Amino acid sequence: MYTYVNKGYEVSVAGSDLFTGTLDLLVLKAVSWGPRHGYAIGRWIRETTSEDVIVNEGVLYPALHRLERRGWLAEQWGVTDTGREAKYYSLTSDGRAQLRAETKRWSRFSSAVSKALTSSPA
Amino acid sequence: MRRIFRRSDIRDDSARDVNDELRFHLDMREQEFREHGLSPDDARRAAARAFGDVSAIDAELRLGRTSRHRSVARRDRLQELSTDLRFAFRTLRKNIGFTAATLATLALGIGAATAVFTVVNGVLLRPLPYPDPSRLVMIWMSSKQYGEELPLSSGFYSDLAAGTDKIAQTAAFRAWRYSITSTTATEGEQLEGARVTPSFFDLVGIRPALGRAFAPADAEAGATPVVILSDALWRRDMGGDRAILGRQIEMSGQRFTVVGVMPPTFAFPRGAELPAGLQFGARTQLWTPMGFTEKERQAYATQNMAAIARLKPGATTPQFQSAITAILERWRLAVAPKLDLHYATTTLRDQAAEHVRRGLLFLLAAVGLLLCIAWANVTSLLVARTARRQREFAVRAALGAGRGRIAGQLVTENIILAVGGSLIGLAVSIWATRAMLALVPGSMPRADDIGIDWRVIGAVSVTAIVAGIAFGFAAATQAGFDRLASTLRDGTRSSTGRHGTVGRRALVAAEVALSLMLLIGAALLTASFARLQRVEPGFEPSHVLTASVVLPVPGEFNPARDGAGWAQYFRQLQGRLAHGAGIEAAGAVSALPLADAMETGSTATIGEPPPIPGKAHPTEYLVVEGDYFRAMRIAVLGGRAFAATDVADSPPVVIVNREYARKFLGGPPSALTHQIRTFFDFSGGRAVRQVVGVVENVQNGSLDAPVQPQVYLPEQQMNYPGLEVVLRTRDDPMAALPLLRREMKAADSRAAIAHPRTMQRVFDDSLARQRFSMTLITVFAAAALALAMIGLYGVISLMVSNRRREIGVRMALGARAADVLRMILAEGATIAIVGVAVGLLGAFALNRFVATLLYGVSPTSVVIYAAAALITILVTTAATLAPARRATRVDPTVALRSD
Repeated sequence: MYTYVNKGYEVSVAGSDLFTGTLDLLVLKAVSWGPRHGYAIGRWIRETTSEDVIVNEGVLYPALHRLERRGWLAEQWGVTDTGREAKYYSLTSDGRAQLRAETKRWSRFSSAVSKALTSSPA
Repeated sequence: MRRIFRRSDIRDDSARDVNDELRFHLDMREQEFREHGLSPDDARRAAARAFGDVSAIDAELRLGRTSRHRSVARRDRLQELSTDLRFAFRTLRKNIGFTAATLATLALGIGAATAVFTVVNGVLLRPLPYPDPSRLVMIWMSSKQYGEELPLSSGFYSDLAAGTDKIAQTAAFRAWRYSITSTTATEGEQLEGARVTPSFFDLVGIRPALGRAFAPADAEAGATPVVILSDALWRRDMGGDRAILGRQIEMSGQRFTVVGVMPPTFAFPRGAELPAGLQFGARTQLWTPMGFTEKERQAYATQNMAAIARLKPGATTPQFQSAITAILERWRLAVAPKLDLHYATTTLRDQAAEHVRRGLLFLLAAVGLLLCIAWANVTSLLVARTARRQREFAVRAALGAGRGRIAGQLVTENIILAVGGSLIGLAVSIWATRAMLALVPGSMPRADDIGIDWRVIGAVSVTAIVAGIAFGFAAATQAGFDRLASTLRDGTRSSTGRHGTVGRRALVAAEVALSLMLLIGAALLTASFARLQRVEPGFEPSHVLTASVVLPVPGEFNPARDGAGWAQYFRQLQGRLAHGAGIEAAGAVSALPLADAMETGSTATIGEPPPIPGKAHPTEYLVVEGDYFRAMRIAVLGGRAFAATDVADSPPVVIVNREYARKFLGGPPSALTHQIRTFFDFSGGRAVRQVVGVVENVQNGSLDAPVQPQVYLPEQQMNYPGLEVVLRTRDDPMAALPLLRREMKAADSRAAIAHPRTMQRVFDDSLARQRFSMTLITVFAAAALALAMIGLYGVISLMVSNRRREIGVRMALGARAADVLRMILAEGATIAIVGVAVGLLGAFALNRFVATLLYGVSPTSVVIYAAAALITILVTTAATLAPARRATRVDPTVALRSD
């Protein structure tokens, strides 16, 4: 019944912020080029990560709302090119600073982990 | 360029905001799938599948939206509450079966409890509907010989009224039946009147709504007769005409001027709250003034009036009690030093409540048990449901909902259930209260004061909210937030922790225990009631019609002047009735057995030393006319019944009962050789009466009271203006009523009739209080047992579905259906037996509370305890039969494949 349960969730449930942090970072990145609605953000993440990060797209929305609550995203209702109303998210200046800091942290972190994973026994 | 605009309603309607956002996503995704070549239906399904659980996320987002404004403004907090409420309603609607079961259980428990509490509140708690009611005190006399709550005589009342005027205001009143002869609507019907001393209305504290109260001059000898009407009588018989004031109406052959109309709520004295022997109507319909002549002020012997006092500010009941005791002592020392007579005072409120307090509190306790069972059942249902919803909670926790948030949501849901159940229960209770009062027509004290007031509403509200919070926490504890993660991982269908199952089993065992206690209570009262019904009353109640027939008594009661006419009327009436079609025997009596109307007086045996005052033989006395003993089938054990030859100028005669003969005359055979004096007859005991007959004992007072000495005098020798006519008929007794009405008028057109009913009805009504308790507790016990069955069924059903895999394994390993059946039944029986053991102990511990309500049954009757325990075990185990049979149909291959 709850088909969107996946390993990523368990990690976050178990108390690590690894998955949450990753998703947040990708969301911030997705709006760094200008306001986007939720569907566009989701589609960008799906396409750029070859659908490896998100299995169930619904997960995106709690993340968007959480980031908005923290003041990193601003939300505004707007009209799409096809004339439909949609809610657009844009990066605030706090959010831009957070994106820069997190990107740096993630790069350090992932290269460190990669280094460790590819190293041979000492 | 894209036009970006600010929508002002974003913050105002988070539900719409969230809904629109998600809908947009799903629409876009659906379109994307269609572009990949899926059919519209497939595309929609694929979009939803890709999204995950839409409603869970939707709910989570809404809660998140509102909670972020938590600290901002009150309006937002209200909005948060409304979101919680809407979400809760949606959840409850989705589980309509669960919601209905919970609401029905709560409505049953709360409805019954509220109905009983409404009655208890009206009778025991609510202040009387008079100003400053705590200062109203009833004054009675009591003696070892004659009992308690005896009325006062005009002499005693006059003495105490004069002697206490500094500390209290006093009034006397007595029942007096009138018949209106000037209007046709109610002609021939007796009205429940009260004669009251002029201070009565001022003392009680209620002014007439129209006109004036009585003035002292109204009660003086020779004053114009005046009357004050009740609102009900005024509206019924005078059409509510305000011009009635000053008009004359003819009552009982005398013209009365109407001087006032009381407000609708005023009906004091109300019969059910005063000793029945005073014979007030359920609601008094009219009041006339009562004054005392100088001779009456000196008359102490005839005790026939009630007295009430309103204490002045600063005065206390003990002070008043000692003042009147001193007055009585002075009189006693001077007149009758050996007389055993005392004053007793009681507040009007206690007066009204004391005879029913114990029974009502017992019922309140019983219904409290039922309410506990209902709660236990609901808690058990909630715990089971929470267990099933653990996945939902886990997901929402994963989506960022805090524990507090989820617990808050649970509490909201459960408060809705509790409040909903309470509201339905309150509605049920309105009906149930009426049904309860209908079981005891006219005999529940303060029935007018019973109704839903702030105390009832308050009690229900507090119960509802406390229950809602308790349910929520019980369920939230069960939700076991610390285990949410593992719930998601291990994929069990609904993980009921060991601890949860034990909790539910304990709850159900408690239900069984409580319902057994109720069942034992019900069985004891039923057995007691059956015993009472088998008591030999001394007469045969079937096929007897009775009605009170009264002649008007104009002016003062004076048998010496009017008595011959009364006696002649009843003699003539009996003669007419005895020859009526279908009549076997016709008679009349001054007070019907079991109708709470006995008069008592004293007698002395001729040949014994004259009794010192207060030491004469006390006895119930009855005046009879015609074939009373044959009409009632009271056995004549020796001598004869009264004959047509026992008249005013023939030798005075008397008939005694077996008990009187045994106690005072050396037994029935020798009784017939004795002569006695009866001090209550209008000769004041000057007449020497020959005992001409001995009759069987009659349970005059009540079926459960020891029989008293009784003497019967002929109407021709002790003239009463009103008697209860008794007709033994061959067929339906009520069919003889037209004959009675016709002959009553034919013999004297001024005669009036009241209370026509069968003697069987009188007999049944005398058990109304016992039947009331028995019926209610039986209903409670049945409801409790049904709830316990449902509870056990629920627990065992859940156990079976949780253990399908285990059962499958057992069956795969060769267990037969019978083994599985036995295993499941044993589970249910264990719970039932634990419950029964606890219930037996509980019933044993509490039996002394029921002891006073029982007649001829031991409160620890082994047979009743054992039978009730056996029934409980059988019935509750039967409830587990269906799930047990379901277990035997588990298909091992399917069970083992399922996750």
